[in-house]
Amino acid sequence: MATYLLRRLLLGCVTLAAITCIVYALARNMPGNPLSAQMGEDPSRKITAEDYARMQRAYGLDKSWPEGYLQWAGNLLRGDLGRSITRKQPVTTLIGERIGPTLLVSGSAFVLIWLAAVPLGLYASARSGRMDERATSLLLYALYSFPTFVAALFLQVLFAVWLRGTAWELPLFGMSDLPADASLGPRILDVARHMILPVTCQTYVSLAYDSRFIKATMEEAIRQDYVRTARAKGAGPWRVLFRHAFRNTLIPLVTLLGLSLPALIGGSIIIEQIFTWPGMGRLFFESIRERDYPTIMGLALMFSVLTLLGQLLADVLYCLVDPRVSVA
Amino acid sequence: MMQRSHGFWVEAWRRYRRRPLAMAALAFVALLILVATFAPAIAGTKPVLCRYKGQLYAPCLGYFDRRFEPAIFTKDKFRGTYPRNLAEKDPGSWAIWPLFFQDPYRSVRANEWPGRPENPAMDQGRPSWTNPFGTDQAGVDVLAKMVHGTTVALLVGFVSMGIAGTIGIIVGAIGGYFGGWVDMLTSRLTEIVMCVPTLVLILAILAIIEKPTIWHTMAIIGMTGWTGIARLTRGEFLRLKGSEYVMAARAVGAGPARIMLRHILPNALAPILVPITFGIASAILTESGLSFLGFGPPPPSASWGSILNGARSNLGMWWLVLFPGTAIFLTVLAYNLIGEGLQEATDPRLREARK
Repeated sequence: MATYLLRRLLLGCVTLAAITCIVYALARNMPGNPLSAQMGEDPSRKITAEDYARMQRAYGLDKSWPEGYLQWAGNLLRGDLGRSITRKQPVTTLIGERIGPTLLVSGSAFVLIWLAAVPLGLYASARSGRMDERATSLLLYALYSFPTFVAALFLQVLFAVWLRGTAWELPLFGMSDLPADASLGPRILDVARHMILPVTCQTYVSLAYDSRFIKATMEEAIRQDYVRTARAKGAGPWRVLFRHAFRNTLIPLVTLLGLSLPALIGGSIIIEQIFTWPGMGRLFFESIRERDYPTIMGLALMFSVLTLLGQLLADVLYCLVDPRVSVA
Repeated sequence: MMQRSHGFWVEAWRRYRRRPLAMAALAFVALLILVATFAPAIAGTKPVLCRYKGQLYAPCLGYFDRRFEPAIFTKDKFRGTYPRNLAEKDPGSWAIWPLFFQDPYRSVRANEWPGRPENPAMDQGRPSWTNPFGTDQAGVDVLAKMVHGTTVALLVGFVSMGIAGTIGIIVGAIGGYFGGWVDMLTSRLTEIVMCVPTLVLILAILAIIEKPTIWHTMAIIGMTGWTGIARLTRGEFLRLKGSEYVMAARAVGAGPARIMLRHILPNALAPILVPITFGIASAILTESGLSFLGFGPPPPSASWGSILNGARSNLGMWWLVLFPGTAIFLTVLAYNLIGEGLQEATDPRLREARK
């Protein structure tokens, strides 16, 4: 196990180096740089050519991209992710600010998804083939094909335009409308009201996918010999479903959990962009538009570390849950 | 005499046909192909066929490519307005018009078609008899835009998954067949592409290309969407390379390329087709998502997602959400249903269970 882990970690480091190198090369080769992107937005900030050259030197933008990448990687090894050029803050501080709002939305969505997906999946496999199950499954399938950005727009039209002025009206954008000095109770309520639409959007697609996944693995488990044995010895239908079949579907579920790790922390670019939610996904989108290389790199590094860790976690959990699987 | 047994694909088609939803989805995609092919004859302001100064022309072909529009109409200063110009400049002319007289790229002016009012602009364009799906901020008819946008939706699915399928099958096949350090390299490559967030990769590459067109978008979606296909192909090749018929082929002296293409690939194709079909659905989602965020093809390419983009700034125009949103949803649903039907029809394990 230890050698396996070591090997996976070493391979992971090589992969990470390749990924960051590609992202850095792409970012540096996009037209414009953080300075020109800022000046393009605001003509009053025009500066002279000398100042421009001096600032380029100060931010290390005069170097070629391979040099710049090596410098970034060297700083990373010393534990320094650099400072954002457009926001004048350390990248770690920026990520720290944005991770809370993202976790708030994706965490709530995550809890809701699993609270609903497991019963739904079990229900679907228990009633498999009957009319009510076919209808539910079709509905879930339709939901799974429903694009989030279309759903987000529909919800915005519904709650912000058609229900305007009623008690059901929900805020469209941002995280809070109250000033920062408002007392805690109303602020929590306000943030909760702002959260409803983004959380709904993030929940429904995964809910549909996960409950279908549970149903599929359950159908596989139900056909196994041990389920027939359990039935033959006289166990009731629910006992067979829970104690014998469901416990054996936990393995694929664990894998699914591991693979959803990056989305949980990384947030969703499209949903955060539509609802202007101040989270990680939006930061990523903004930093690409602002050509803010240090922030792009910091976030890309975080996303890929999470993806690799999620895969590793899934594989390790897999052989912990199922002794038949060996790592080598 | 013994009856010859049916082949694998005939059997699969038989099982597929038993699923009404999957068949409905197939019919829907066929309908989309028809709409895309005949888009200029369905909605447009240029005649499908007309007789002008003693010659026959088909100006509607100009919707496919501007060069196909007959030069005589440019010379005679038609400026895109056909009905009045045809009648004025050649009283003896006749024309067959598209089913629906609205243009996907510009607003129709008052009396351009005798007796027709001007298209309403800004937030006034709610659905009406002249504009069944309403008009956008610039007064362009939404139905005409959607009819012409069908081409983009279909092409995105087929072209990008064609690219992704080719890359995925080649990388997966090489890795799975040769194993060892080759497999190690291809697996790392797959992992690297998987780890970079797709949307970020696409946005960055689109920014680097100087004049991105819809074809660039398709190519990029294809080049980032092959990882799942590669992993599955690798697994299938790993499984099949030890089988007896592969060994037999090797024994009679077939080279690796021949074994991979002629012997293993046809047997691995069915499970690989399933993620490709699902991939078409997600490619359409990605393209419309990009257009929605404002990174779509530049005008005049009409994409369903870019109509949605217009609704973001003015949510009161609900018709800009409802119609294109439903079209994207139905198309994605159709491809997902086809993929599932294909899976159930070709996967032997599921087949046994259904008996």
